[in-house]
Amino acid sequence: MNNLTKLLIAIGLLFVAINPAHSLTFTVTNEAGQPLALVMVSRIVLKQPATNLADGGYAPNGVTNTTAAEVTRFSNAQGQVVFKDAGKAYRYRLRAPGYVDIQLTKTDGNVVLRKMTAEQHIASFPSNVWLSKMDFGGDAELKKTFQLNCVFCHQQASPFMRGERTEEQWISIIERMNSYGSRLPDGDHKKVAELLRKEYRHLRENPEQVPTPLAWEGHLSEIEMTEWQIGDSFSQMHDFLIHPDGNIYIGDNLQDRIYALNPENGDYTVFKVPHNTDAKLGGILGNRFTTFPKMDNYLGVHSFAYSKKDGNIFITPSLQQALLEFNPRSREFTVHEMPEGFYPHTIRIDDKDRVWFTLALSSQVAMFDRQKKEFKLYDLPTRGIKEWVTIKALPLIFWMDPENRPTPAPDRDGMGLPMPYGIDVAPDGNIWVARLYANDLAMINPDTDEITMLDFPFGGPRRLRADADGNIWIVAFQDSLLVKYDPKTAQYSKYELPVVNEVPYSLNVDKQKNVVWVNGNQSDTLLAFDIATEKWKVYPLPKQRFFGRDVEIDEQSGAVYVTNSHFPTWQSEGGIPTLLRIMPVEDQQEEVTGTIFEPQLDAQ
Amino acid sequence: MKPGCLALALGMALILNPLTVAAAEDGWIYYGGDQGGRHYSANRQINTDNVTDLEVAWMSRSGDVETYAEAMVNTSGQTTPILLPREAGESLVYCTPFNRVIALDPATGKQRWSADPQIDRSGDRSLRCRGISYAEEKSVAVGSACRYRIFSATQDRRLIALDALDGKACKGFGINGEVKLEPSAAYKTGVVSSSAAPVVANGVIVLGSTIVDFVKSKSPRGTVKAFSSLDGKLLWEFDPLLGNKDSGSANVWSQMSVDEENKLIYLPTSAPSPDYYGKARPGNNLYANSIVALDLNSGAVRWYFQHVRHDLWDYDSPAQPILFEWNKDGKRIPALALLTKQSLIFVFNRLTGEPLWEITERPAPPSLIPGEKPSASQPWPIAPPPLIDAFLMPDQAWGIASFEKMACADQISKLHNLGLFTPLSETLTLMYPGSLGGANWGGGALLGNSGKLLVNINNLAFTGKLIRTPESPAGNDTKVDHPGAGKRMQVTMQGTPYTVDIGALQSPFGIPCNPPPWGKLVSVDLINGKIDWEVALGSIHEMGPLKLPFQVNWGTPNLGGGIATAGGLFFIGATMDRQFRAFDTATGEQLWRYQLPVDATATPMTYSYKGRQYVVINSGGHYMFKRGYGDYLYAFALPQ
Repeated sequence: MNNLTKLLIAIGLLFVAINPAHSLTFTVTNEAGQPLALVMVSRIVLKQPATNLADGGYAPNGVTNTTAAEVTRFSNAQGQVVFKDAGKAYRYRLRAPGYVDIQLTKTDGNVVLRKMTAEQHIASFPSNVWLSKMDFGGDAELKKTFQLNCVFCHQQASPFMRGERTEEQWISIIERMNSYGSRLPDGDHKKVAELLRKEYRHLRENPEQVPTPLAWEGHLSEIEMTEWQIGDSFSQMHDFLIHPDGNIYIGDNLQDRIYALNPENGDYTVFKVPHNTDAKLGGILGNRFTTFPKMDNYLGVHSFAYSKKDGNIFITPSLQQALLEFNPRSREFTVHEMPEGFYPHTIRIDDKDRVWFTLALSSQVAMFDRQKKEFKLYDLPTRGIKEWVTIKALPLIFWMDPENRPTPAPDRDGMGLPMPYGIDVAPDGNIWVARLYANDLAMINPDTDEITMLDFPFGGPRRLRADADGNIWIVAFQDSLLVKYDPKTAQYSKYELPVVNEVPYSLNVDKQKNVVWVNGNQSDTLLAFDIATEKWKVYPLPKQRFFGRDVEIDEQSGAVYVTNSHFPTWQSEGGIPTLLRIMPVEDQQEEVTGTIFEPQLDAQ
Repeated sequence: MKPGCLALALGMALILNPLTVAAAEDGWIYYGGDQGGRHYSANRQINTDNVTDLEVAWMSRSGDVETYAEAMVNTSGQTTPILLPREAGESLVYCTPFNRVIALDPATGKQRWSADPQIDRSGDRSLRCRGISYAEEKSVAVGSACRYRIFSATQDRRLIALDALDGKACKGFGINGEVKLEPSAAYKTGVVSSSAAPVVANGVIVLGSTIVDFVKSKSPRGTVKAFSSLDGKLLWEFDPLLGNKDSGSANVWSQMSVDEENKLIYLPTSAPSPDYYGKARPGNNLYANSIVALDLNSGAVRWYFQHVRHDLWDYDSPAQPILFEWNKDGKRIPALALLTKQSLIFVFNRLTGEPLWEITERPAPPSLIPGEKPSASQPWPIAPPPLIDAFLMPDQAWGIASFEKMACADQISKLHNLGLFTPLSETLTLMYPGSLGGANWGGGALLGNSGKLLVNINNLAFTGKLIRTPESPAGNDTKVDHPGAGKRMQVTMQGTPYTVDIGALQSPFGIPCNPPPWGKLVSVDLINGKIDWEVALGSIHEMGPLKLPFQVNWGTPNLGGGIATAGGLFFIGATMDRQFRAFDTATGEQLWRYQLPVDATATPMTYSYKGRQYVVINSGGHYMFKRGYGDYLYAFALPQ
């Protein structure tokens, strides 16, 4: 070894010692050389770590794999964004409204973004702005019916949805979706098909009528987004919980698996939920998805809650008459068979360790007493004799034709059966329930078993959450509203969402910061509502066709998590379901003030 | 607008529009009517008012049935004649499945000359010839032999130049008038063959090939070759797979189009091999399943668009790209329409490749086959709409009898089915449209430069699956690329672990499980991106075990194309009912039909000769349809 070689090695070692992790600073400019603030820069690993996926493409029960996270940051006022760990094999994607995406595998960090043409710019707008200009021939009620039934799985005005179709093709799609579980009234099929064809075409021919999405704002430079791929394209990551053991437990609704993800290192362990040997694929709704190539959902893992007493996790298996209990220490499941009730949905546990969950098909609320190992069912009131008879006949219907149950054929007045959906425990111990398709709320006093029903003056009460003051926050799905109900005054307050025509699916309350987080599914954003100031912050998400299902908050760290699972998942950008976390950045960059990206429809 | 008015308007447009690539008033000098495959004639003597008076003007038989009787069962009649210009003899010239080239008197159908290349028929492939080409070689003195030339590409891969006046070989071309397209007997006869008409423009002949691409993991290269039309010297070559060693083919078996003025040739490329399994060929597999614009003189790529990435469905580019003028919002753009088997239509600026209808990325389903990585998305034009609704659910099952419908619903409910681009799995998977299309090699017809496209579509659902190949697989039938009527096709994909099994989705009685029409004619407004009308194409009355005495117009599978005329008419055979039909281009109403001796699985042509308009169709049957064969050429005209 000659001296020069020794010198080079020494310099190299010194460099490594000084720079234990290779850092990369992006400086993003436009074609005129001006710095671009708030450019979304995503660092994506080139190759995911090797994994054991020997169980039908998934990790075998109990096996731990690792998923490499995708990290997204936004540039500051100087157009700069820093990634401390840039030493591995990464690619970088740069995205900003009105600019053409850039993908880089080799870069010195100096990047010039090219403006989209006006046509490209409009075409890149998310679904919500296009949907906002669909007025369904002036029939606002029909639009809401459409949104209620068609937006809980798909972004409706994404580019491939707004493509030209004949009315017959639209009707075929609508009928197929109703066979999967949508409830668009039969009498509306033709009209909706006509309007979708006509109004999508009108917008294509008059794109200038489509409003520009809300500009990205300065607070984005304060946060970092981390996103983990979980499962595969046939998975659907639905609800999840942040557990005190440090893991995030996420349910794969289509593959009967639970993923325990350690957000510190991306390690995840898969637990396969057991089912009886005589269980039928698809459970009580086995006729829904027979044409899907890959389904393993005997139970349908839906919603999670953990006991503050022992940390055990309770899970609603939607397709069974049962409640699941998972002990994360022993990794054992216990199945609590339920004597009646259909479609266990959203679940919460109160301070007395009672497990509460909605039964979405049989219009009930269930309480599981862990001490007695008994269920108590609360029948929510029906809205008429027909509804009462139908609900009471459900066991007979499921018994008579378990292989091929009829799909509902609702009319617009009936809207099918009410669907107890979201549930939460208020600080005073009362249980609050939102009934979708009935537009009402139920309050159960666990001490007296008294049920109080309240009309909900908006459409589509889906999920709800109680805040620290006992207010109940509800998303009005098809009405595109966040609604507060104050039990003390019995008053509703409505709050328009900051993005147009978003259709809010889920929400949660950061009780420390008094912020309500709302996720929609049309605008590729997550929304934060400051209760005190009644101001919104909007967080654009790194994936197009991002379909949030559940929001959870780690109040200690300030992190907000949301699951992304379009249905089917492969319709999301990237094609794989993800868990996304938004956290304040540790190395706070200089905040960008004001709005950076103004409407630029005249670009080029 | 009434048909007559429409025809008048189109006629006026042709007169007033200097950008128009006008079809010759009298002739049909190219396979597709013009170099851009519009299948359009400005002839209007036969029109909507008098088409019912059409009668057989003459009928000519090639003599193949007599000469090659034993081989006829292995043939398909697919030829479209061309009419030579006056100086070249004004003969009607066509090829037969045996690559015989025959010149007829266009008024009487009497043979003027013929040339038989005596092709090697030892291969497994069925025999067909869709067309020949004509060019005037201006470097050859007027009055000398072979100034006017016919070019023919044969099944056994020879490019032949004939004198258009007498059918004699052009001795100065290649060796004694022919060029061998393959350097040696690298493949068994028929594995690589020719069926489309050579393209000749600016002194350059460009040739693709037909290749058996579903049998071997690495099928032969799909190299496109260009030759000098004067002497047959090789000018350039283009490998659509860019030398990809993991795969083969992506050949150009369909008809190419050429923009002579801009010196661009458009290649509709096919799938990479093997058709249904792509683990060994990861990625998008450029330039397979694409439209590739090459510089005519150099073969350099000018632009391309891949309409199926990492093909797993045999969605070749099946049809001749249609070149036309796009007139919208005051803009006049040289355009290209690309028809696809998957029933999507893409429209581009043909000089730049810029889409004239936005092309979106449609997420596509993943695969269950280990190691198979389909493209996460596929291109999808925002308009026009797909010509087939590619989903089929149990509730949509069709059957004449209720139990038949139930049986179909049961079958469909057990299929893997995530719509278009669902990859085959080891469980039976819906393939809709199947490999037959959608559109196929018949292409479409454009009403002048109106942007109105008429296209015949197959509407049959197939099913398919991948089967782990046993150690001793059965032999493969490579005569056809698609399952025949009522049959399933099993092909062991050599070099892969799988055998592919494909067949039509049909009831126990052999009736398709998807609702009719099973073949249809669609009128598409390319400019406004919508479907104007669609009608069933074909009657099933001869398809059952017993022939019915009346027509049942539920549409039939169809191969071959149609032509449009300024007379407001669309002529087409193509169906499995021996009918040759004329439709009103404005309404889709069937105005006339004639029963031929056998199916006319060819594209017709029309010309005016000595003041009389003729419409000519080859009635030869199709090997795959198994409905008889023939060697007929029929000409129709109005009574004199």
